[in-house]
Formats: sequence, C-alpha cells, structure tokens
Amino acid sequence: MDRRTFLQATCLGSASLLLDGIVPISNCDVLSPAAPLIHVQGIADYKPSPLGMPGLFPGRVVELFEPTSIVHNRVSQLVVKRMLEQGMQELTGEKSAKAAWARFVEPNDVVGIKINPSGAPACCSSPEILREIIAGVQGAGVPARNIVVYDRYSYEIDIGSYQTLLPAGVRIVGIQEGFADHSGYDDRVYCQANFFGEWETRSYMASLVSRELTKIINVPTMKDHSASGVTGCLKNLGYGAFNNVARSHQAPFSFTSPLIGVMCSVEPLRSKAVLHIMDGMRQVWHGGPLTQLPGFIFQAGTLLIGTDPVAIDSIELRSIEKKREKEGAPSVWEHDPKSITSDGSEFLHNSSKNLFYRQPGHIVAAGKLGLGMADKKQIDHRVISAS
Amino acid sequence: MEPSANPTSSGPENEWPTLLCDNSRSGGQGAVSVPRPTRVRWQIRMGKSIRSAPVLRNGILYVTSLGGNLHAIDVKRGRQIWQFRAADQIHSTPSLYGNNVLFGCDAGKVYSVDGNSGKLLWETIAADEVWSSPVVHGGAVYFGSADGNIYAVHADGGKPRWVRELGGRIYSTPFVAEQQIYVGCGDGKIYSLESSTGKILWGTETGNGIDSSPAVIENTVVVGSEDFFVYALDTNSGKIRWKYETGLGISSSPALAGDIAVIGSKNGSLYALSISSGELRWKAQAGDVITSSPVISGGVVCIQSGETQAFDLASGRLIWEARLGGAVQAVPVLTKDVIYLAGNDGEVYALE
Repeated sequence: MDRRTFLQATCLGSASLLLDGIVPISNCDVLSPAAPLIHVQGIADYKPSPLGMPGLFPGRVVELFEPTSIVHNRVSQLVVKRMLEQGMQELTGEKSAKAAWARFVEPNDVVGIKINPSGAPACCSSPEILREIIAGVQGAGVPARNIVVYDRYSYEIDIGSYQTLLPAGVRIVGIQEGFADHSGYDDRVYCQANFFGEWETRSYMASLVSRELTKIINVPTMKDHSASGVTGCLKNLGYGAFNNVARSHQAPFSFTSPLIGVMCSVEPLRSKAVLHIMDGMRQVWHGGPLTQLPGFIFQAGTLLIGTDPVAIDSIELRSIEKKREKEGAPSVWEHDPKSITSDGSEFLHNSSKNLFYRQPGHIVAAGKLGLGMADKKQIDHRVISAS
Repeated sequence: MEPSANPTSSGPENEWPTLLCDNSRSGGQGAVSVPRPTRVRWQIRMGKSIRSAPVLRNGILYVTSLGGNLHAIDVKRGRQIWQFRAADQIHSTPSLYGNNVLFGCDAGKVYSVDGNSGKLLWETIAADEVWSSPVVHGGAVYFGSADGNIYAVHADGGKPRWVRELGGRIYSTPFVAEQQIYVGCGDGKIYSLESSTGKILWGTETGNGIDSSPAVIENTVVVGSEDFFVYALDTNSGKIRWKYETGLGISSSPALAGDIAVIGSKNGSLYALSISSGELRWKAQAGDVITSSPVISGGVVCIQSGETQAFDLASGRLIWEARLGGAVQAVPVLTKDVIYLAGNDGEVYALE
C-alpha cells in the first residue's frame, strides 16, 4: 500500500514542516484512501514555550493504580487526592505536591482544564479528579476565577453535572451550543484539508484556547475510539480545541491519523498544554467514545500523569489492547473488512465489530511531529501503587 | 392581574406557573389526564437551544433560551408576542407571580418582567450564574446561585431580604414551605433554612453534589443526588428515612403523587418509589440518559428524555411515546388538550 501523508504548515512553531510516510501497522490492512494535504495556519510570531509538548519531562509517564479509588462505580475523593499528590511528586521529583504544581502554573496564569465529557454520564472526566486538580492549581496561587474547566459541547458538560460538582468561582465553559454554533472560534488559526469532499474544509481553533488561556491541563479519559483506535491525551486536546472535526472520518475510513497530531502541534495549543492527567478510573474497551454499556466499561482505578501526550497515549493503547485481548475482542489495529459494520447497534453490542478502520497510528504520527515519544524503549514508565 | 394569596399554587387546569407546575412540586398531578398526542398543532423556533422548562398562564407560554431571551408565545396562534433580552444566556426556568415573570441568567441577574408587555419591572444580581428557578412564597423570591449563596428578595421590587452562603454551587431549585426552605447544594448536602431569616436549620450529607430539586410531601423531603441515591429525609430533623440506589447519578427532580415519588436517573431508568417505605414500585427504561424531570397527571407519568414518553403511574407500563427531531431533555407542560415541549434544538412544540 502506498500511503503517504503530507503536511503543509505555515505556523507550527518548532514542529516539523513536512510529515511524510506515516505507515499504519494493521492486521489484514485494506487500501485506504490517501490522506490529503493539511494546511495549517497558526498564530504568526508565536514564541513557543519550553513547557509545551512534550513538556518538561519527555517520555516520562507515572502510572498509579489503586483498586479502592473506584468502588461500585463511585470514585473516592480521598483516594484520588492521595494518588494525584503522589503522582505529581513522582513526575516532577518535588518533595511536595504544592511545589510540583508550581512547576506548571503561576499565579498570573489563566488555566484551562480540558475535560472529556463526551461519554457522560457513564464514562467522562471524574469530578473528583477535577476537584483535586483545581485544588492543586489554586494551591499554586491561581485564583478560582482564572481557572476554566472547558470542553467544546456545553450540553455534554450539562449531562456530567460539572456545574454543580465543581468548586464555586471556577468558570465552566462549553465552547459551542450545538453543531452549527461557530461563534467561539478564532478565524486566525485553523487546519484546512478536504478529506471526503466536504464543503467546509477548515477547522478553527477555539478562541478560548488561542486567546484567553495561558496554560492547559488536559484531563482525558481512557477509551477506545471507533475511528482513532483510542481517545486519549492527543485526541481530547486536538479535537477538543478545533471545530468541524467529525469530517475527518467517514465510515469506514478515518483520517484521524494524522489530523489529531497535526492539530495538537498547532501553536499556541502546543505551547499551552503543559500537563496531561489521564483519568483511568474507568476504561472503555469497546464502544467508545460514547458507549453507556457497563459491560464495556472496566473500573480500572488508574491515573496516568505526564507532560508527554504521545508517551501516555502509547501506554493507554497497550492497556486497552491488553484488556480487549483478555475479553476476546480483536485488536484496535484490526483492518479485516469482515470486522466492519454499518449497523450502529451491532457495533455498540458486539466488540468484534467496528464502524471504521481504526487509526491508532495517530499516536506514532504525533510523535513524528515532535510531540512526544511513542517508542516503548524511550518511555520512562513508572508504575507505582498509591500508598 | 393581582397576585393571589398563594400566587404559585396550582390554578386552573390550563395554568402551569412554575417548574414542575406549582410550588408543591407536584409535576401537574391532578385529574387531568394526559392526552396521547397525534399531531403537532404548532412549532416555533426560538433561535438558540432551550435548556429550561416552559411555564404557562392566561394563554401565554413563557420560554427562556440560551440566546438570552425570555419569549412570550401566544399558544392559540403559536406566535411570539414579545421577547425580553437578558444580559446573558438563560438556563433558568421562569416562574410566574401574579403578572410577573421571574427568571435568572448566567450573568447572575434575576429579572422580574411584566407578563403582558415584556417590560422590565425590577432586577437583582448574584455574584455568579443563576440556573435555578426563582420560587415565590409569602411575598419573597428565593433562588440559588453558582456563587454558593441562597438569596431571598422582596417579590415586589427585588430588594434584598437575606443572603445565606452554603458550601458549594447551587443549581437546585429550592422548595419553599411555610417556615422552611429546602435546597440541594454542590457540596453534597441537602439543606433546610428558615425562610424568614435564612438561618441554616440542618444540613444532611449525601455522597456527592446535588443537582436535583427537592420536593416535599407532608413531613418528607425527597431528592436525588449525584451519588446515585434517591433520599427521603425528615423535614424537621433532616434525618435520612431511606435511600434507594439507582444505577448512576441523579440530576432529575422528583414528581410526587400520593405515596409515589417518580424520578429519573442518568442510567436512563425511571424509578417509582414508595415515599413512606422507599420500596421500588416499578422501574422503566426511558432512554439512554435522563437528566430531565418527570411530571404526573391523571395517573400518567410523562418524561422527556430524547423522546416524550407516558407511563402508567400504577404499573410503569408504557402508554405512548412521541418522537420529535432533536434532543429533548426538559419538563413538558401538560394541559387538558395540549402538551407543550421545548428542546435543545431551540424548538417549542404544541402537541395535541
């Protein structure tokens, strides 16, 4: 198969200007259409931050597992507090959680916390973890009014009841009200490509991200994804900052690779995303990102913390693959045409079926853009049990 | 129209002045049976998404929208009569007090607007967004805010009476009785406050924040929590009488009829529980997710959770369902002839 992907970039900061030859690893691969040229327009003259991806600790991933962190599908506030403090200290080498948080945020920052409510209510960023992140950010001197918990769709935030469950003073923002609401996006920053002949070929960055926030803490969930293989740090960040992203996948084909990594590499998103805390309290191993079926949602009781989204997503991918294998489900790399269905209900209930040829290669592709390390040998994977 | 002695109690059969019909939070219980709708009488688009419930009085349906407008709709013609522009998006369900239409907005303002003309009568302000519905009782308006405070202001003029800080954000609409008010809070507690002073009488902890708006019948408060449980508490002491576990968090508010409380859970199930014992009477699947509140009328439970469904109150049997375009998670208004619905897509429907 001749699959060559090209990236044309004008303002990627220090990222690669040309991405060539992303080769998906797959079983029984099918001939997918070639990815089109992606034109990227970032903010001109934006000075990249040293805290930007892959951040202060490239390749380092702290994994914490504590079975009591989720019991009967309820997340323990006390246990996740302990896990997060321990994980932040392990990541940074600091002696206190306060000092660890201060490595990433300063009192004059406007800190965005990018949640993933898309699987709400069954699997979404846990309010318990968000409360501890907010406490950590406040502990570093950032006032509540300068903390913005956000996602693209306000109705998904509503289903998760984040407004009620998070501390007073913190802003909770849904960037758009529905699919047709484009008012919250910045026309200076976009990715442009024609994937399937769509009439709107641009995806714009949210103004909140491009103009208002100075730092972003990314809080993805741990889920498989019918188009991208998994949804983790990279997809939560990129597809949660730009609009009009569903056009990148049209059954059964998906251009989530390379688009996810490309979007994450656009300035100022790349520089502002300084920390990634993956909520693995629940792990969706099939039916993601929207499944509500408890049978496909494993209560994993895990946190993954790091500054390198590629390394974290690589660990996540292995974890989901392991779980799928244990459950008798095919790999997310499976590209056998027999695995594809156009029946949404069949996909939701049968873990051997999928709507798309998944593209987990987006993680490696993001690594090639300099966003982090996908090679297992280069990942400093620190597994610790919360004490 | 002058305010009556009990201005927001359930009135004529075609009135629905507050969230869940009236201040008893009955959800419309009464003899009026809910008709099986066979057609759309009219449909009107409000431009932006609607996250609140409509209210109805004197042939005018009042609807708030995320576009920041309060819309007054003539229900006979299905036409807008006027609209009032607020300072920000509106998530708050309006409530009617005499000729006043009261509602909050995301900028923290609470407005009183003339129900006939749409002119501003007064406004007051909290420090953060007001999603709860203002409740009028005894000449006072009570509402909660995301700033963590419960406010009481004079119904005529909006001057402050008292403010009480609770432990978290407040999205729950208070239930106001003669001496006490009851409200859920983001800190996970259900509170009772003295209605005249705002003094906290008791606060009972649940396992997570409370989005749900409580309802009271006799000496029992019923409310759902994000900790997955439905709670019944003693109105005087706050002592938990029973709690019932559902499959996921609860932001739906209970509708009460006789000894039955009906409430939805985010796991998509509708639960009917005995108020006296907490026993499950029946459970029905009403969608993938329920965040809206059921209403009860004429022995029928009506819920909007994606589609509109009616269940038999006694058995939980599905009686009818109406499929509309778009996501609809709101509280319908039930009248003798017509059901009024508002949806996330910004459409308002009259079904008959």
